[in-house]
Amino acid sequence: MKARGPLLTLLLAGAFGLCVGPFYWLAVAATQDDKDVFSWPPALLPGGHLMENLRGLQESVGLTRVLLNTLVVAGVQTVGAVTVSVLAGYAFAKFEFRGRNLFFVLLLSTLVVPDTVMLIPIFKMMMTFGLIDSYQSVILPGLVTPFGIFLMRQSLRSMPDELLDAARVDGAGELRVLRQIVIPVNRPVIAALALFVFLGGWNQFVWPLIALRSPEMYTLPVATATLQGLSTTNYAQVLLAGAIAAVPVMALFLVLQRQFISGLLAGATKE
Amino acid sequence: MALAPPPGPTRAAGAAGAAAPAAVPPAGRRRPARRRQLTRHSVPYLLIMPAVLGFAVFKAYPVADSLLISFTTGNDADSHFAGLANYRRLLADPLFWTALRNTGLILAVQVPLMLGLALLVALGLNSTKVRLRALWRLGVFVPSLTGLVAAGVMFSVILNRDAGLLNWVLSLFGVDRVNWLGSPVWARVGVVLVITWHYTGYNAVMYLAGLQGIPTELYEAAMVDGAGPVRRFTAITLPQLRPILLLTVVLSTIGTLQLFDEPYVLTGGGPDNATLTVTMYLYDNGFKYFDFGYASALAYALALLVSVLGIVQVRLMGERR
Amino acid sequence: MPHPLSRRQLLQLTAASAAGLGLSACGAGGSSGDAAGGDGDSGRITVWSWTTAAEALRGVVPSFERDNPGIQVDIQDVGNPAIWDKITVGLASGGKGLADVLHIGVDYLPGYLEKFPNGLADLSRYGADRYQDAFAQGLWPTVVGKDKAVHALPWEVNPLGLFYRQDHFERAGVDPTALTSWDDLIAAGPKVLAATGAQLLGLDKPGTTQDMDFFQNLMQLQDAFYFDHDGRITLAGPAAVQALTVIKRLNDAGLLADTAGQGTWKRLVGEGKLATAPYPAWAVEYLATKFPDQSGKWRVMQPPAAVPGGGRSAIVNSTYLAVAAASKRRRAAWRFVEYALTKPAEINRMFTSGGVFPALTAAYADPMFAAPNAFYGGQSALKSFVDSLGAGSGATNFTGDYARALKLASDAQSQVLLKGADPASALKDAARQLAQQTGRQLAA
Repeated sequence: MKARGPLLTLLLAGAFGLCVGPFYWLAVAATQDDKDVFSWPPALLPGGHLMENLRGLQESVGLTRVLLNTLVVAGVQTVGAVTVSVLAGYAFAKFEFRGRNLFFVLLLSTLVVPDTVMLIPIFKMMMTFGLIDSYQSVILPGLVTPFGIFLMRQSLRSMPDELLDAARVDGAGELRVLRQIVIPVNRPVIAALALFVFLGGWNQFVWPLIALRSPEMYTLPVATATLQGLSTTNYAQVLLAGAIAAVPVMALFLVLQRQFISGLLAGATKE
Repeated sequence: MALAPPPGPTRAAGAAGAAAPAAVPPAGRRRPARRRQLTRHSVPYLLIMPAVLGFAVFKAYPVADSLLISFTTGNDADSHFAGLANYRRLLADPLFWTALRNTGLILAVQVPLMLGLALLVALGLNSTKVRLRALWRLGVFVPSLTGLVAAGVMFSVILNRDAGLLNWVLSLFGVDRVNWLGSPVWARVGVVLVITWHYTGYNAVMYLAGLQGIPTELYEAAMVDGAGPVRRFTAITLPQLRPILLLTVVLSTIGTLQLFDEPYVLTGGGPDNATLTVTMYLYDNGFKYFDFGYASALAYALALLVSVLGIVQVRLMGERR
Repeated sequence: MPHPLSRRQLLQLTAASAAGLGLSACGAGGSSGDAAGGDGDSGRITVWSWTTAAEALRGVVPSFERDNPGIQVDIQDVGNPAIWDKITVGLASGGKGLADVLHIGVDYLPGYLEKFPNGLADLSRYGADRYQDAFAQGLWPTVVGKDKAVHALPWEVNPLGLFYRQDHFERAGVDPTALTSWDDLIAAGPKVLAATGAQLLGLDKPGTTQDMDFFQNLMQLQDAFYFDHDGRITLAGPAAVQALTVIKRLNDAGLLADTAGQGTWKRLVGEGKLATAPYPAWAVEYLATKFPDQSGKWRVMQPPAAVPGGGRSAIVNSTYLAVAAASKRRRAAWRFVEYALTKPAEINRMFTSGGVFPALTAAYADPMFAAPNAFYGGQSALKSFVDSLGAGSGATNFTGDYARALKLASDAQSQVLLKGADPASALKDAARQLAQQTGRQLAA
């Protein structure tokens, strides 16, 4: 019995190594010269080509602009999708209205249709609206997330009605109830949802690839894909782009991780 | 469920406002007075309006449009109605069945493997005997932060046969170079490994959240009754985790049946179709062969399958009381 | 009442907006064809291309803009293969959202012309037909659509050559110039392997990249392909079986290295582990820039025949510039295509900067095509490619179903190389599946 603690710690440390090891290698590979990326044995210590690879990325894809684009897209999408989800989740959890169950079922049922098949109808629509090659074209389709609405509904359902009623008796309108009670009380689950949405927005690839036309609008995953020509790919740069992509989401997770876990607890475990 | 507010430091540290619900007994779920509902009847409609609009435009319309396309053949000017021809063709297409078999195989191996591992990791992370829990928790979650493109470039090099990190690590243990991605069997293993790497931590954190929501009194009572660790796990932990287990099983099943990212970036569905999945084949038909009618039919055949499987899972796991 | 909207008003609003969306969506679906296009002759045009080719095109812009005041050109590097998804979605959406000028490979162009007959502009209207004889033989049939109109101009052509390590062959005591067929190479290969440890050539055996160039080359050397000129399937024909048998024999003799995986081929060449590279003309520049330390060791010759005594020239692939039918400035776009692709000075400028081997025959008069190249031991490396084009090779019929054929052929090759399948029966299965999927007939 006594040895269980250290043994478990060791096993978890192993899992940690398996999970984080590839990132360590990625960070190391991103500092190598292109021709050393495929050397045997693989380089395990940082090389001296980080700045050179960074300059190369700045020249080939305009790294700063691309990062800005990705940040705008993911940031706006996060604020928008969280707002939509909180509003709808509140309605589903705390109000009775005609069509409630039908709409909820419809919303969740679209999860079974693969996204790939929706690309062309959405593209046609974006063309009609004249939005192709704009931030909006990438942001808008991500604003309604069935999973987000589901998560918010689950979380808000467990909120006591008395709390809301007390505020309403005091004469607060629904917006004030939302702002002063619903949102503060559910801050952890909102943080969890925000992280999910940001992650999705930051990493999304196939749709932005199709919706964005000009290199000044590219997001990081799209720009990374354009680095892959036929036989001339600079792998050190590609790997550096991959490493850079991981940094902001990791930072955000570090900031939000306490809230994230209690948020999952509040959202996903309630029936 | 719980009579006391959930224990655990994470919950208490949530937010300043979190103190508020604790003050009110959370058990009661009384409906608001009927009268209030009537006078406020337009509120819920206003609240869901953004969701309804967004849903109509970006979900319902594309779904309906592509469903219609699945009954047509040809493109552009000479597209015409073809009834069920695409669906009939699908039944006779050996590649569709290969893709379905591969997807089923990955599902049967990968989902139990990943969720089992995730549960083990979560149990470890929840144990008070373990040191540095916050660090391990952060580490195992990190892979789920990576996107398709980054994971693709990373693993196509790590799994490289002659210069990849994985084969180098294996060589330290005297294992010969494995032709990851290059042989039909190992390519499947490679894809399963990468998916497991990618999503185990995410599921583990979900389970961890669930574990932390189980009231400690339940365990204390069981200890008093003399229940051992195995008995406590089967009698308390598993039943208490049931809702979250169901959620992860359903989400992982949907995710695996629609598996696209990993084969797309790692194997292209090869070698010799060993890792061809239904969505991969769908993508090829739409974007390489320009056969959108057939691609859409593949999508809806898959959607039907996902729905049936999802319903079966909810029935099996959801109604056991 | 705190809420001014009644429920009825709300429902009306929702219904109205939904109806509006439905209408506009129908508008998008119904307006396929070239509804949005126009013959504008000035303004800003955009061009989609990829990596080095895009870079080369940028070099043309200053002189073009000087000679054509009123037109500005924006070259966009979309990346390859990303560009195909973007062009495909654009064409599938009735041609909207595309750039004005599109750089398209021979592997996609026939498919686009066949599946989207209204997607690429009719260039015959601007007089493109007068260039019919200006380009290397075998390319023109590809640019002509079912409507007999021209829809693109050839830019790049990649005739096949056999690059080889002179030093390796010397050490093995083999005279490479005496090897005129792949039979000869299979016979000489073990000697080279024994003397130098280098295998003859590399191939992506599992087919993860679906690079079937070598198999296709071996068919093209016999004037054959997946389809005959009437579009019937010849994937199981004698030429295809011969091609796959050559590959199987190379593999069985241990002469074929597996180059699957990113960077593998480059690494093997860097280590001197491959004695030959059956590659097209762009590799002249590529080898010299990627492996400068191997200067003087390489030579290039016409590829050996697939059957003893057979033909020794083939065009691996080619790329084209087309104008989107939906472009509002089709005439301006055509002017750019014409300017970039039919003037020897411009096309050679692009060749020097990006290594894109020109399809324009007038370009070969430039002295650089005969100049000795130090990397190839003073051999005039480009000349053998020009000669190869001069020898003439038949047009290859890629058809609109090339992508399916490519996939099935790649599967068949993997079955042969990884599972020891018999070439003839693997190809027979592939051909039957291709017929089932495309509705095409099998050639007798």
